[in-house]
Amino acid sequence: MTVTRDREVASAPDTVLARILRGPDTRLGVVAVPVVAVLGALVVGGALMAVEGVAPLSAYGEVVLGVFGRTRGLVDTAVIATPLILLALGIAVAYRARVFTIGAEGQYIAGALAGTAWVTVGPPLPGFLLLVSGLAVAVLTGAAWAGITAWMLARFGASVVITSLLLNYVAAAGLAWAVRVGIRDPGSFTPQSRPMGAAALPDIPGTAIHLGFFLALLAVPALAAVLRRTRFGFRVEVLGANPEVLAVNEARPARTRLAVLALAGSFAGLAGFVEVAGVTERMTPAFATGYGFTAIIVALLGRLRPLGVLVAALLLAGLTVGFDEAERVFIIPSATVGVIQALIVVFFVAGEALSRRGRR
Amino acid sequence: MDTLLTLATLAAAIRLAIPVAVAALGELISERAGVLNLGLEGTMLFGALAGYLATIASGTPWLGLGGGLLAGAACGGVLALLMVVVRADQIVTGLAFTLFAGSATTYLFEQSYTLGQAPPRIPSLSMAPLVVIVLVVLAGVWFLLTRTTAGLVLSAAGEAPEAVDALGYRIPRVRTLATVAGSALAGLAGAMLVCGPLGLFVQNVTAGRGWVALALVVFARWRPGRAVAGALLFGLCDAAQLRLQGTATEIPYEAFLALPYVVTLLALMVRARRSGTPAALAVPFVRGGT
Repeated sequence: MTVTRDREVASAPDTVLARILRGPDTRLGVVAVPVVAVLGALVVGGALMAVEGVAPLSAYGEVVLGVFGRTRGLVDTAVIATPLILLALGIAVAYRARVFTIGAEGQYIAGALAGTAWVTVGPPLPGFLLLVSGLAVAVLTGAAWAGITAWMLARFGASVVITSLLLNYVAAAGLAWAVRVGIRDPGSFTPQSRPMGAAALPDIPGTAIHLGFFLALLAVPALAAVLRRTRFGFRVEVLGANPEVLAVNEARPARTRLAVLALAGSFAGLAGFVEVAGVTERMTPAFATGYGFTAIIVALLGRLRPLGVLVAALLLAGLTVGFDEAERVFIIPSATVGVIQALIVVFFVAGEALSRRGRR
Repeated sequence: MDTLLTLATLAAAIRLAIPVAVAALGELISERAGVLNLGLEGTMLFGALAGYLATIASGTPWLGLGGGLLAGAACGGVLALLMVVVRADQIVTGLAFTLFAGSATTYLFEQSYTLGQAPPRIPSLSMAPLVVIVLVVLAGVWFLLTRTTAGLVLSAAGEAPEAVDALGYRIPRVRTLATVAGSALAGLAGAMLVCGPLGLFVQNVTAGRGWVALALVVFARWRPGRAVAGALLFGLCDAAQLRLQGTATEIPYEAFLALPYVVTLLALMVRARRSGTPAALAVPFVRGGT
């Protein structure tokens, strides 16, 4: 594998990713590698806690109780999973087409920022219209932000990995400026936007689960259907498997790359708006929490499939919520759950590669 | 704006450029051998933490630099095992490693001091020796790549692996060595960041400098001298941003926060255009079949 200026498309076909796309030979294998990766990471995490002097089994028991032992645990899991599902769905489609964007974080920020600006300092619209137009602005901005990467790839052959990543920092700087000056609530001492008012998403009465969670749940089968049944879905698969086939069959690969990036950006923008409108209901400097990066783990672990993404997002959100609760009972370093999540993806990547080698 | 280009700004620019330059030189080595190492940012983080801890343990930042170098080499070993030996996807592996490093270094850092206490500052190296190190590394990488047989084999492994293979050199071995050497430099870069004027480790201390270094390698078109020049350009932007944060009230300082990244993006455009990249290059090309 050599380094070329167009590195996204220069990898040899039989890589881990090709393997993730194609899936193992058996139905069992589809879930075996991720399950083993998760268990392996939990074992290592348990060993870390044992070194700390915390009994791993009782700690994990507390993690499970933290999620399932109380309504609040399930509610929190759904709330945290919402942006992860939406972000990871977009990433999954892009990665299926071998377009390795790591710009979800920036697209998420850009979409949320534009949507918030529209509903807080934009034209005064009646409630429902305000919400819908705000959503549209966020989705379009997310797509446009990803479009910069697509344009730089098509026009200059610039690496998607690098341009999308650099744009994350630009978006973060934009967020800092917007809440400090641009769309700042003049009546507030701390830098933050005005509340979203009528554009805020309704919650299930008595819980913190907002409409966005159901949007995310709907998006899963919708995207699965698009991937399986439409011409676009077919092109994504062909582009991921062998771009040259797509090139000789009339459809231009560059156009499909633009489409998947725009789609990923749309989902990220949607995720951003839903997160602001559903949770804090105003933009704060603390908005960027790295969900865009966690979503990469979710997409990979979900084997780049919509249903897999749903399961993986709920799993990682549950781990976060459960550990949060366990930390109240045991003295566990707060980075433990991050280490476990990162180990899951490292083990998953290694496991995929090893299972491929074992078969030869 | 006329106060922008003072000696102090220039000094700050050089200080900010140092870790980026060394990391870019490291990445350049592995990329010349055919390994795209997206684990660079993560390796820098491990190097930074190792440099910090080794300085605390030994009392001298010089041994901190050594610790960073060793930690980087160890990261390179893991990465090479995954990317070269097991042949896992380079992009996915690098990303996974960087994600892992972010959490793992935070975890290890939290373990290294008692909660509730402020982590200790470490004695820091002044700029002059660090600049010397950069120049030595630059000269070394340049000499290796252009004046030695090893460098020739290394570059050929990234250009025409089949030919190198036919000459009897083992491609996996060449690429593993290049990845380990390049990662060692990335670890050193992380340690230089912490053991330099900063004198402290904080969570995510590298703040994307590894990614900037990756972009610089493309910008420099895989030439060592240009990579260092590019790092200096980045340092200049960063220094201007820091300087203007306090002085210019008309311009939001966030604009200068974004400037290094915007400049890098623009540089990628200019570079790609000047290199006369054929339009068909963005059209996928799968190399060598299986």
